[in-house]
Amino acid sequence: MQHCTPEQLALAALQEPLPASDAAHLDGCGTCRAEVAALRRAPDLLSVPQLAAPGAAVPPPPRVWDAIAAATGVTAVPSPSAEPAPALSSVPPPPVEPDHGGTVVPFRSRRRPVLLVAAAVVAGAVVGAGAVAVVQSTGADGDAVTTVALAPLPDADASGVADVVVRGDGSRVLELELDAPALEGSYYEVWLIDRAVDGMFPLGVVTPGTQTVELPAGLDLAEFPLLDVSVEPLDGDPTHSGVSVARGDLDA
Amino acid sequence: MSGALALRSPILGSVRGVDHVPGTRSGVDPDDAEVGRRFAAGDEQALAWAYERWAGQVHGMAVRAFGPGPDAEDVTQQVFVAAWTGRARFRPDDSPLPAWLVGICRHKIADAWARRDKHRREAEAAMTEAQARPGGPVTAGVDTAATDRVLLLDELDHLGQPQRGIIELAFFEDLTHAQIAERTGLPLGTIKSHIRRTLERLRTRLEVDGAALHA
Repeated sequence: MQHCTPEQLALAALQEPLPASDAAHLDGCGTCRAEVAALRRAPDLLSVPQLAAPGAAVPPPPRVWDAIAAATGVTAVPSPSAEPAPALSSVPPPPVEPDHGGTVVPFRSRRRPVLLVAAAVVAGAVVGAGAVAVVQSTGADGDAVTTVALAPLPDADASGVADVVVRGDGSRVLELELDAPALEGSYYEVWLIDRAVDGMFPLGVVTPGTQTVELPAGLDLAEFPLLDVSVEPLDGDPTHSGVSVARGDLDA
Repeated sequence: MSGALALRSPILGSVRGVDHVPGTRSGVDPDDAEVGRRFAAGDEQALAWAYERWAGQVHGMAVRAFGPGPDAEDVTQQVFVAAWTGRARFRPDDSPLPAWLVGICRHKIADAWARRDKHRREAEAAMTEAQARPGGPVTAGVDTAATDRVLLLDELDHLGQPQRGIIELAFFEDLTHAQIAERTGLPLGTIKSHIRRTLERLRTRLEVDGAALHA
């Protein structure tokens, strides 16, 4: 069988889906898989939400300009109309309209299912059997279940599977099976995050193994579809550390 | 040149001037391109204008990476100071000022990550040594992600157009090659071959400099 073209392997390294015949070849060809693995370190490292094109603007407090003026010796001043209300609660600007006819693509959403497959296949990561994408099913006791695989993020060796279970009374829990190394001096926390990676809900401390986490009633999972496991230092800071080790998309 | 020109405005226009509200400014304020030219020329007022228009987006990126607080404010400050002191390297004809600022912001975020990573590993090494334990904590060991990111961002700076715009749309806007073709008006085959060559170039940079750095 013919190998994939170099261009297709580059696209595979960017987590783009390949035509079926090439995808099938890639599955079974060690040479092509090794090539994808060699090409994907740059996209894996740079294609992260924190480095993505700017999202919502957050006006910095006035002291930031003061520091810039002090460091540069510039005496011009920004006009007062631009002086910010230094609050995160300020209303974010309206979503940026696409250019002529383009589509606004939420970060990662389009490639997410492929990412999960690619992570399992290419990196040899262990992802729960059959859980490479969101699976809707019905639990043994009649509860509705959405299953999502948690794929390891670059340079992390954590993965897992989570079920969102809707109980008979309408309440929801997350049943999380986390496969990750034990930590010392830090801990794992699970979050639901929106696509802009602006808003997030901490769902609590989790440990390697299986556990059940209650979901806040009324929380719109469509709005916060990214299930994220982070490593949090014991620093008393309740915000996300920025160190995510595994992630899945409930809406993939 | 027509290809490059067709490419330039939509790609680099991905950082839009959404920060300032039209109509609130007096008619004498220059447009973004003029701010860029004056910035490059060292006009101090242009730094203030740039801050008015784009500090929110830059700080927004920093907050996304570090959460609100001193770290994000430091990064925002560093971006504008570095842009001003390095303005000789800014080419207003190659890229709009906001896109250049966002590029600097990526560097500053990656630099901060690399510093944190270094501190963490030093602390872990000290702890491991103190406890004289074989193995050590799970996060110890050679994790070159943070330093490799710094190298990769530097390599992006050395790419010409349209290669840089194409790979940035793939990396930072998560567009597929088909969407990039649509956005830029360049043929699919051209996009694919640029992506391939750029990924090879980035891999080579990691193999050469990354290996030297971590040796």
